[in-house]
Amino acid sequence: MSVITTKNLSKEFSSGKFSKEKIQALNNFTFEVEGGEIFGLLGPNGAGKTTLIKILLGITFPTSGEIQIFGKNISDESYKTKVGYLPESHKFPNYFNGEEVLHFFGMLSGISKAEVKKKTDEYLKLVDMEKWRKTKIRKYSKGMLQRLGLAQSMLNNPDIIFLDEPTDGVDPIGRKEIRDILIRLKEEGKTIFLNSHLLSEVELVCDRVAILNKGVLIKSGRVDEITAVSDNYIFNTTEIDESVMHSLLSVYKSIIKSKHEFYYSTDSPEDLNKLIDFLRQNKVLILSITREKNSLEDLFINLIGSRN
Amino acid sequence: MIFSTLILNTFREAAAKKIFLGFFAISTIIILVFLFLINVDSVDGMVDMMESSGEEGVKNLVIGFEVAMINISYLLVITFCFISVSSFIPSMLEKGNIDLLLSKPVSRSKILIAKFTGGVLLIFISLTYLIGFVWLILSIKSGFWHIPFLYTIFWLTLSFAIIYSLIIFIGLISQSTILSILISLFLVFIVCPVLYVREATIFTFVSNTAVQFIINFFYYILPKTTDINQITTDIITGKKVESYMPVISSVLFMLVTLSASIFYFRKKDY
Ligand SMILES: Nc1ncnc2c1ncn2[C@@H]1O[C@H](COP(=O)(O)OP(=O)(O)OP(=O)(O)O)[C@@H](O)[C@H]1O
Ligand SMILES: [Mg+2]
Repeated sequence: MSVITTKNLSKEFSSGKFSKEKIQALNNFTFEVEGGEIFGLLGPNGAGKTTLIKILLGITFPTSGEIQIFGKNISDESYKTKVGYLPESHKFPNYFNGEEVLHFFGMLSGISKAEVKKKTDEYLKLVDMEKWRKTKIRKYSKGMLQRLGLAQSMLNNPDIIFLDEPTDGVDPIGRKEIRDILIRLKEEGKTIFLNSHLLSEVELVCDRVAILNKGVLIKSGRVDEITAVSDNYIFNTTEIDESVMHSLLSVYKSIIKSKHEFYYSTDSPEDLNKLIDFLRQNKVLILSITREKNSLEDLFINLIGSRN
Repeated sequence: MIFSTLILNTFREAAAKKIFLGFFAISTIIILVFLFLINVDSVDGMVDMMESSGEEGVKNLVIGFEVAMINISYLLVITFCFISVSSFIPSMLEKGNIDLLLSKPVSRSKILIAKFTGGVLLIFISLTYLIGFVWLILSIKSGFWHIPFLYTIFWLTLSFAIIYSLIIFIGLISQSTILSILISLFLVFIVCPVLYVREATIFTFVSNTAVQFIINFFYYILPKTTDINQITTDIITGKKVESYMPVISSVLFMLVTLSASIFYFRKKDY
């Protein structure tokens, strides 16, 4: 069942108070997030990732398009009791200490005082911030604020959690801990919507991703599917003669490295075997075939790079 | 529950601002002055000096102190309180804070009304502390329990609320604390007093009726805290209040400004 659906979502900002020029932050964005999955939204700076989350949460209003969360229109604010949010570079009022931040935002989420108290203890422990609970947050480091923010986003036991760059400013060990928390939340059946630049990280936890560039959705799907599309096969062979080389180039669109080595990209095993048959018919001996799986980063750079 | 959390937070925020604590410190000093320095002996002495007979003289003296207190409190409210609440809205609107607030199941109008109510309640409590204690001390010392002085708490809170609505509006539009402070102080210290005495001053050298009309127009649409202060004084000294128009039009100003703020806030992208 999909918990978030958008249809032809667009958002235009005017670039300045007195300027007529428009910035198209989102352009006909249509997508779905399934319940219980970790969904990653990728894109370069200014792609519109934060704008999308803000629209989904009613912080910014779309210029046009439809949104449904839990199957309901978002003009009905009740869905917000079941949503958690970690904003990008969040800024809690600095007169609070750690525990007061959780208390304040917990109470605003509409849960009971007793529940807030219980969850505060539980989540401060989970994000390893227990010994800082009484310290004023203006004394926190960036990573500590981020951990507190993560605890805050889980406090009301939400069904969907929106995380905008959750590992921003967190050290490698902290990142691993955050990934573990995300996986744990997923096991509890929660849906996680993640914005990130850190592709390797997204690859590690996300079930599905969407790649956004200049407000346009350019690709989406399961991580293994979309990275498999451009799987590379590296062939090592005995010497290839001119005519075979020519067919490899024109028919199979492969990239020739040398007389003994070429690259072939395909997502279909049939095509791969056709190529093997072709080589065998032409008396080329295959010494080795190596499958090189593209990382999400390769894909990202290819897609975004070719568009800019 | 959510609403009271928001209101309590305005108290928390004010307490975190040193400037608001200044208000409490000065109030406490004033209360202590009334408690220890103004004693019955000297009151009796002054009564003699005023050459009025016994009880009447004490009453006049008490009323004199009360009128002075109205002006002192008014000054305290417009300096300390305005300055400390001016940052409420701009700091709420800071990027990274407003986003989180708006993601909570609270409507935007409720957030704004809570900010307003919280500020007004805070000033009400502070004034009750200051005026209440001064009243109590004066009453015990003089034996003259002058209830109308307590109405000052209400009138000063009302004046505060009227200007606070403008502070909220400017804060929303400009997201600037400094601008909110400047405009509200300019209004209260310069515009209101000048418009209050416009007939005796400006109109004596501006005879052009069109200009007079424009000045009158501004007088009627802008808040009139100087007038309200005068009404408060009249009530305490027992003078007849000629017109409550300044109060009614100022309250209308407040309602319009608040509605405009809510309208703006509900539509804005953050
Ligand atoms: N309030 C606003 N007014 C005008 N333009 C805006 C506003 N908010 C965002 N934009 C513009 O919309 C575009 C998308 O911004 P957004 O913050 O969504 O990007 P992002 O993908 O989150 O980038 P990053 O990875 O740097 O966080 C940018 O061009 C930005 O300048
Ligand atoms: Mg962003």
